[in-house]
Amino acid sequence: MASRSSSELRRPGQRGRLAALGALLLVASALLAGCATVRPEDREFLAEPAMSFSARSREAAMDEHILQNREGSMGGGTAGGGGCGCN
Amino acid sequence: MQLTRARTALCVAALGALVLVSSGARADGRASASTTLFLEPGTGTTVTNITPQVDLSQNLGDDVTLSVGYEADIVSGATERLVDAPGIDVVTGASFDDIRHSVRGGFEIRHDVASLAGSYTFGTESDYQSHAFSLTAAAELFDRNTRLELSYARAFDRVCNLSQPRATEAVERQALDSSDGCFTENTARTTNDLALHNFQLSWTQAWTSTLAVQLTATANLAHGFQTNPYRAIWLGRGGAQEHAPEDRARYALGVRVNWWLRPIRGAVQLAGRIYRDTWDVESFTVEVAYEQHLGSLFRLRARGRYYGQSAAAFYSDDYGREPRGQYFVGDRELSELTSILVGGRFAFVPESDDEGHVLGFLAGLELVARFDWLIRDYANFRLSGLEPTDTQAFVISGGIEAGW
Repeated sequence: MASRSSSELRRPGQRGRLAALGALLLVASALLAGCATVRPEDREFLAEPAMSFSARSREAAMDEHILQNREGSMGGGTAGGGGCGCN
Repeated sequence: MQLTRARTALCVAALGALVLVSSGARADGRASASTTLFLEPGTGTTVTNITPQVDLSQNLGDDVTLSVGYEADIVSGATERLVDAPGIDVVTGASFDDIRHSVRGGFEIRHDVASLAGSYTFGTESDYQSHAFSLTAAAELFDRNTRLELSYARAFDRVCNLSQPRATEAVERQALDSSDGCFTENTARTTNDLALHNFQLSWTQAWTSTLAVQLTATANLAHGFQTNPYRAIWLGRGGAQEHAPEDRARYALGVRVNWWLRPIRGAVQLAGRIYRDTWDVESFTVEVAYEQHLGSLFRLRARGRYYGQSAAAFYSDDYGREPRGQYFVGDRELSELTSILVGGRFAFVPESDDEGHVLGFLAGLELVARFDWLIRDYANFRLSGLEPTDTQAFVISGGIEAGW
């Protein structure tokens, strides 16, 4: 658990280095994204509902509704995308 | 329950456009209906929540989809009215029954690799009203292997409260006793505003033919009345309506990974999230799920989720003995807590005939049953020194979705 005590113990320099590393990984991944090409005829498995991030959005909304009401956090959930890319 | 409503309103608005995006993909139109039962048993505090909902969407040509939906939230139960008062039954007389009605409508416009979706949701109940709007723009790049999505949702909410113009200090304000007279000319009632802004940016990437990853960053800003008007806190010499800061900024970063396992026709789904807000709540979430095809007609999904959070900076479970500055709340969702969820989903998907139809005229049909068990542990939440008994909840739902 991300308790406050552990974050207080973490030095500011450490937190900054972790953020910089995360940003670097994100940028590197974004640059690599253009190289990752899945051809339309190879998207059979990506078209499975289990592989789509938005195929069950109403169920995801209900999940989020219930959990937000029982926990103190929100956001970072599902967005559109995934699937066959055939819109 | 009021903060609950605020979260609901914005959640519905933010996901309204997403529902459109997902519903207009293959069929000309879609209809879905479902009912969810939420049961949280506890000694004197049992909460039952039944949520029926129905959605309908229709494509107008290839580029436009319109949708409408309705949802009801039928809640009954009991809640603590005066938190932490020594020797006082905190539950007596605090039962509630209410129905929230929510209607929504939306659109999506698609052109080549770009899309724009919007939605509007109106929610109303005896003591809360909400108008929520959302707008989502998306672009698909690199042969549609990359999707970038940006959304903004805005909610204008109003909360009923007790009119008490002579109470100039927070410690003088008393809790609302009932919703009678709310949103009328009744001079004993007033309304408090709550403004909500939600920004979300997501990046979805198909890395291989069996691996997809999604990153989502969310920022949520709330300004206004963010507590339960019915709840009072014992402050040592007396009780006062709970009092929280008017502003809260909330940030979350989530990642989801879906990996298809070819040999066994199943998918592993991993999710993680870190969260922080200006009330000093920090949390992290991990979720693991597995979905398996059972023959050609059935799909089974099992999942487990762990969540942990720290307490808000001003949270205390005994303000009489341990005050935490100018604010005082009895919301246990602001205390240090962990929760574990285990659940399952079972789907029946009838096969289509040679012409691609189900039952002769539908493009698709799915029947779904779901079950979740939620168990929470509160490190520092007590009701007048007693452990809460309503720490488990059960969620059962069933639904049907058809496309044509």
